[in-house]
Amino acid sequence: MKNIFGHLVPVVYLFISVLFMSGFTPVRAQQDKYPDPAQINRSLRALQRSNPAFSELNLLTTSPGNNEVLLLEIGKEVASGEKTNPAILVVGNLEGNRPLASLAALSLAERILDDPGTYANRTWYIVPAGNPDALYSYFRDPLFENTRNASPHNDDRDEATDEDGFNDLNGDGYITKMRIIHPEGEWIQVKDDPRLMRRADPVKGEQGIYRIFDEGLDADGDGKYNEDGPGGTNVNINFPHLFKAFDPESGLYPGSSPEGRAILEFAYVHPEIAMTFAFGATNFCHTPPRGGRRGEVDLTRIEIPERYAEMFGADPGRTYSMEEIIALVQPMVPEGVTVDESMVAGFLGLGAAINPMEEDLAFYNLLSEDYRKYLEEKNAKEERFDPDRARDGSFELWCYYHLGVPVFSMDLWSVPKPAREEKEGSGLSPEQLEKMTSEEFLALGEEKIAAFMEEACVPEQFSAKEVMASVKGGQTDPAQLAAMVKQMPKKGKDGEDANPEEKANPKEKAMLDYSDKALGGKGFVQWEKFEHPQLGELEIGGFVPFTATTPPCSITDSILDLHLPWIFKLSERLPSLGIYETRVTPKGAGVYQLEVWVENASFLPFPTAMGRRNRQPAPAVVLLEGKGYTLLSGYPRTPVADLKGNSRKKLTWLVRAEKKTDILVSLTSKSAGSDQTTVNIGG
Amino acid sequence: MKKIHIPQNSRFFAYSTLFIIALSTAPGIFPGLSTGKAFAADPQITIPLRFDRYYDYEQLVEAMQKLHEAFPELSEIEVVGKSEEQREIWAITIHNPETGDHSEKPGVYVDGNIHGNEIQAGEVCLYLANMLLTKYGQNEKITELVDKNVFYIIPCVNVDGRYHFFNDPNTPSTNRGLRIPVDDDRDGLFDEDFPDDMDGDGNICQMRKKDPNGNYRLDPEDPRVMVRVRPGEQGAYTLLGQEGIDNDGDGQVNEDAEGYVDPNRNWGYNWAPRYVQNGSGNYPFSGSGIRAIGEFLLERPNIIMVWAFHNSGGMILRGPGTRSGGEFSRGDLAVYDYLGQHSESIIPGYRYLVVWKDLYSTYGDFTSFTDNLLGSYSLVGEMFMRESQTYRPHGSEQAGNEQGYFRENTEQQKELLKFNDNVVQGELYKEWESYDHPVYGEIEIGGWSKLSSRLPHPFMLQDEVHRVASAVLFTAEQTPEIKMDLYEKEKISGDLYRLRIRLTNSKAMPSMTDRSLKSGLYPKDIITVEGSHIQVVAGGEIQDRYRDRVSYKEYKPEVQFTQVPGFGHVEYEFLVSGKGSMTIAYHSRKAGRKKLELEL
Repeated sequence: MKNIFGHLVPVVYLFISVLFMSGFTPVRAQQDKYPDPAQINRSLRALQRSNPAFSELNLLTTSPGNNEVLLLEIGKEVASGEKTNPAILVVGNLEGNRPLASLAALSLAERILDDPGTYANRTWYIVPAGNPDALYSYFRDPLFENTRNASPHNDDRDEATDEDGFNDLNGDGYITKMRIIHPEGEWIQVKDDPRLMRRADPVKGEQGIYRIFDEGLDADGDGKYNEDGPGGTNVNINFPHLFKAFDPESGLYPGSSPEGRAILEFAYVHPEIAMTFAFGATNFCHTPPRGGRRGEVDLTRIEIPERYAEMFGADPGRTYSMEEIIALVQPMVPEGVTVDESMVAGFLGLGAAINPMEEDLAFYNLLSEDYRKYLEEKNAKEERFDPDRARDGSFELWCYYHLGVPVFSMDLWSVPKPAREEKEGSGLSPEQLEKMTSEEFLALGEEKIAAFMEEACVPEQFSAKEVMASVKGGQTDPAQLAAMVKQMPKKGKDGEDANPEEKANPKEKAMLDYSDKALGGKGFVQWEKFEHPQLGELEIGGFVPFTATTPPCSITDSILDLHLPWIFKLSERLPSLGIYETRVTPKGAGVYQLEVWVENASFLPFPTAMGRRNRQPAPAVVLLEGKGYTLLSGYPRTPVADLKGNSRKKLTWLVRAEKKTDILVSLTSKSAGSDQTTVNIGG
Repeated sequence: MKKIHIPQNSRFFAYSTLFIIALSTAPGIFPGLSTGKAFAADPQITIPLRFDRYYDYEQLVEAMQKLHEAFPELSEIEVVGKSEEQREIWAITIHNPETGDHSEKPGVYVDGNIHGNEIQAGEVCLYLANMLLTKYGQNEKITELVDKNVFYIIPCVNVDGRYHFFNDPNTPSTNRGLRIPVDDDRDGLFDEDFPDDMDGDGNICQMRKKDPNGNYRLDPEDPRVMVRVRPGEQGAYTLLGQEGIDNDGDGQVNEDAEGYVDPNRNWGYNWAPRYVQNGSGNYPFSGSGIRAIGEFLLERPNIIMVWAFHNSGGMILRGPGTRSGGEFSRGDLAVYDYLGQHSESIIPGYRYLVVWKDLYSTYGDFTSFTDNLLGSYSLVGEMFMRESQTYRPHGSEQAGNEQGYFRENTEQQKELLKFNDNVVQGELYKEWESYDHPVYGEIEIGGWSKLSSRLPHPFMLQDEVHRVASAVLFTAEQTPEIKMDLYEKEKISGDLYRLRIRLTNSKAMPSMTDRSLKSGLYPKDIITVEGSHIQVVAGGEIQDRYRDRVSYKEYKPEVQFTQVPGFGHVEYEFLVSGKGSMTIAYHSRKAGRKKLELEL
């Protein structure tokens, strides 16, 4: 009894002190407002203290605004330096303007710790607040959306730095817009809803009325408003893939921000990272990384400059594929040198990849379908606006293109899209039209042709009737029509008009609708007159910052409960390597053929096609160990550079063994698991 | 900047002495070939520095310290950072502090030996420092430069590379990169299969084996030269590559040596990862020393001229490193061409070339960084031309047969061998000798030593470093020199005055590069007009002073932004009302400050 008591006291004391020191309340209970960086860090510390055996807290760096960027590690190998379990790196809110993203990462950490199954054979590295300086803007008065850390930056390249930021002139706590009637005004009010503004289109005879500024003063008297507010780097565009130099927010060079640099450094000393996940503005679960971008070079059609062409015996007038160039160059290099893609890319100066590899898009597309199905099963299907595209220099693109791991992301919430009136479509495409005869076309009837013309954005002055008449009269035919239609500007994906000036921006319209219906109008500040000390009489109003990205905290539980479990489902799709089968075939005279099939029994490839291209993820290795045998062919150490999802690969050795012996066959990988087996040979 | 107390380096003396003893007792090895130490064997470092020798890493640091000790009033030395193997990277700053703070002077930055094997790039930096300090007060031109400019010199960037190049067996091209382990052969092991100095002579030479089915035969004129057999000819030898064994038992020889992370592909502008170019680290500023030097440079925004020295080829290179880097403006090109063409004349045989166009594309290279993110005119000097190792009578043409990237030039090989035999008494070439290789059996090892091919023999060193340093001095002379004059002061009415000033630049470089102007790297030069009893009513740049055309600045006329062109001038007008004393001040990040004080 004495012993028990002796143990109990310190435990109770520790427990109380933890509560006292951390001020911890569970994440889910504190749903009236989003946690600020300090609260996030307190919660992380508390989570770690209550799970000391399976979690560890790392200080990644301190931001320029003197906020700690913490990383919580969860797993069964927290104490060991060398990890054998694959890891998932989760980074929240690198843009800094998504309080929900940080909350989600924190909640994910809590859910992982609640369910030991999620970390039984996985390590999780979680950074809930990757850009704490910017995140603080959400908790400060006045409210404005900020993506920049606290490093100074002279945005307007004048004699002072950070001298002209926003000012809350009307004292409502928000930075909104100022509109002022001006001789050079470019904006007019939207007819349907004069709260919204759109650009006037002089071509259509419209005369602009207003100029629009962000709310504030010209603090430094240079004629510009709010052109150099406090703040420096947006951490999320401070990464090396397609880094945008000289953008005021991107930083001087990739990794110039301490937050970005810390993540770069962390990722490369943790080769066990098999997947990354970002909570932010993109949603790679829903919309895979974008392809189809045009770059400097098309790797299937590479030109060879004359000075090289002559050397290789190539034709400078035609183009070559990468494979063809490798075949041309290989015989020219010294023996033992293998020409590969990066060597060719190097001397021809081909530059960086800009589109995801086809093989990778295949798994992205499949998983995105699965995600939609998952949401449907949860009755959560709603029309939504497309998530933001990953920005050049972003964490997401860097993970995919440089780390060579699958990266997924979620934006978790967007303003609901107002239900559209569903009109019956024509069901026709220009391609179908192309193949039609004039008779088939006319048989469609006026109504269908009119619907098709509307879908194809044919200007209103052309009526279906006229088109039918000219087809009938032989002045045109369906193929010509199809060609014309293909030239027409298309409607945007969200049903935006090709010429957005004509109506209000659909997203703004949706935001206003959402503010009116769901927020009781609190998402929008009504325009009101204000006497500006420099500009004179104007109006101040507009959307309340964060309305488009940040739902009321009261509904975050349901959002997180809906989406976060998908991450666990994704984590089950990580590549998983193993030894599938071994076979020993006697060849006579003590010589045996040893065959080992290694497999990737899971869905995702090891590594991604991009990872294979950039040779970044560490290879798996098959090792043969034992005594009393010699290898006649093959080597004791055999790298396995890649294994696609649900695939197997055979490795073969010729072994000579006079007596019976065991060979230990082991497969090790940094990020996709390990396996071993013993084979008997000889005798 | 901190001053450093220098301890007496007695350990070094002992080490060198030991080394000489070790060499003289090593049987069958010609001392001149054994290691780089042979060229650096003299432990005595005296001021002025000698350049009939090479300095190893420790000697190079000691030479810098001795220079500083001898000229403490004109120089400061400091440790910029440390390498992967914890070696110190030293910088020497040279200027006359009595003529102003270094940060207010046009900065000239010079470094070398970023590739560990390119050692003469360190010597040229030492030579420059030595020249500036020992000739200050003796030579008028040099005195002016030390008074007007500041020189930041880092003779050895890749200190680990230099150390290992001198101390380990090498080819002329090994130990180029940083000591960051990379799994070159993708087998899960890092840096596990270096070349091996099988015969223990301090060089990694070539291995060849007699083989009637081989692809090579010996040149009948000089059996050291290997000739590829033509169809129908009988071969005699197979080339087996660099000296070495299969250390990791994977069937490949020497396939995973140090690195490879190329320190000249890891800077912060237009960086690209390893699949785009070999040698990239994981991200920009991979490498602790590179990162420290990057910070050192960004803390010195007054640098407007950069030289980075390498070997070899006899080239003066300008950017951009890639085609997509974009050509320089006409104004910047005029500056580059002026500097490049003069340098070509100062160093005979050197060619002024463009990196991406005339060589190959480089991403994240050092001078792209300094061009774009430091706003400096930046040149690379590729020192030494192998063709300068001549062996032929005056007036005769260089012998040569067809040559290309992948083709051999046996005639040139023969001339180089005669140079080796009769001009440097065999010090650059290791004669083929037989060796019993564990895998290949009886082979021969021989070929060019590590000190050959890319380095001038010490007897040629002084000539080359002097000419190259003179090119640096020429470019330093061309850094902007701005004069500000008030050339008109006219009373218009009452207390309203018209003031006109002229900023004149008597040198080739503008006060900021066009490239940084275009990218908006940093604010332009600033002219401010101040006075406690004055008001600037209007002000702006004078477009045409004879027709009174002035582009008035709408807001804040008392602050003007400008760039003063090379060999040119700009003029500004201010309409000022008031009385009493006032000042017109000019401040340029790269071209210093000027001030006019006047009374209204």
